[in-house]
Amino acid sequence: MKNLRMKAARAALDLSQQQLADAVGVSRQTINAIEKGDYNPTIKLCAAICRALGKTLDELFWEE
Amino acid sequence: MDLHHAGVFVGLAAGLLAGLAFIMSLFKKKVLDMHFDERQERARGKAFQYGFFTLLIAAYAYGISDVLLGRWCDVLTGVTLCIALALCVFAVTCILKDAYLSLREKPRTVMTFFALLSAVNLGLGVMYHISPGLTENGVLTFRAVNPIIGAAVLVILIVYIVNYLLRPRDEEAE
Repeated sequence: MKNLRMKAARAALDLSQQQLADAVGVSRQTINAIEKGDYNPTIKLCAAICRALGKTLDELFWEE
Repeated sequence: MDLHHAGVFVGLAAGLLAGLAFIMSLFKKKVLDMHFDERQERARGKAFQYGFFTLLIAAYAYGISDVLLGRWCDVLTGVTLCIALALCVFAVTCILKDAYLSLREKPRTVMTFFALLSAVNLGLGVMYHISPGLTENGVLTFRAVNPIIGAAVLVILIVYIVNYLLRPRDEEAE
């Protein structure tokens, strides 16, 4: 399932996939795969993405 | 061990040591690097699995071919062929999953190095072919190791370039 909340949060900060990838120390393709729902990140990477985007884990990754 | 075989052994050992020293210097200069992110590590694990099973199958197929067809290549050449096949499967799987180059490696530098490596090894293959030595009595000699390595590196290089050219330019469009 696509992670549109993460994509929206990144866009709100005017960050490119590459900039977010650099901020959390992964490749751009990894950010792309997470946004497309092709890859489930570990809790460590989720937390790093949340810190970089100023969001909580619930806001970006919790599915109802 | 006669003088000829001793010469071959010393030559192979010297070549292996020189190759290792060269690769270590590339790691030291950060041309090659092994820092991958978690998705890449996972994809490489899967690719390693495919490569491993390819090696098992290739080694077994080589053994069977030797029994059925008789000696058609030196054991060293046969082993190199199996390893080259497994490496190609590993590398191509990694490339298709965007997990071949690490976070710090520069694609252009690494691919230039691969092009040189391929050209040198294929060039040696052509040289051995012109001044007979690639085959002896219809059997591929250990000199075929160079063109095999050259061809394997060329396959990896071509797959990387084709994959790069076919990838959408716009990151959001991927």
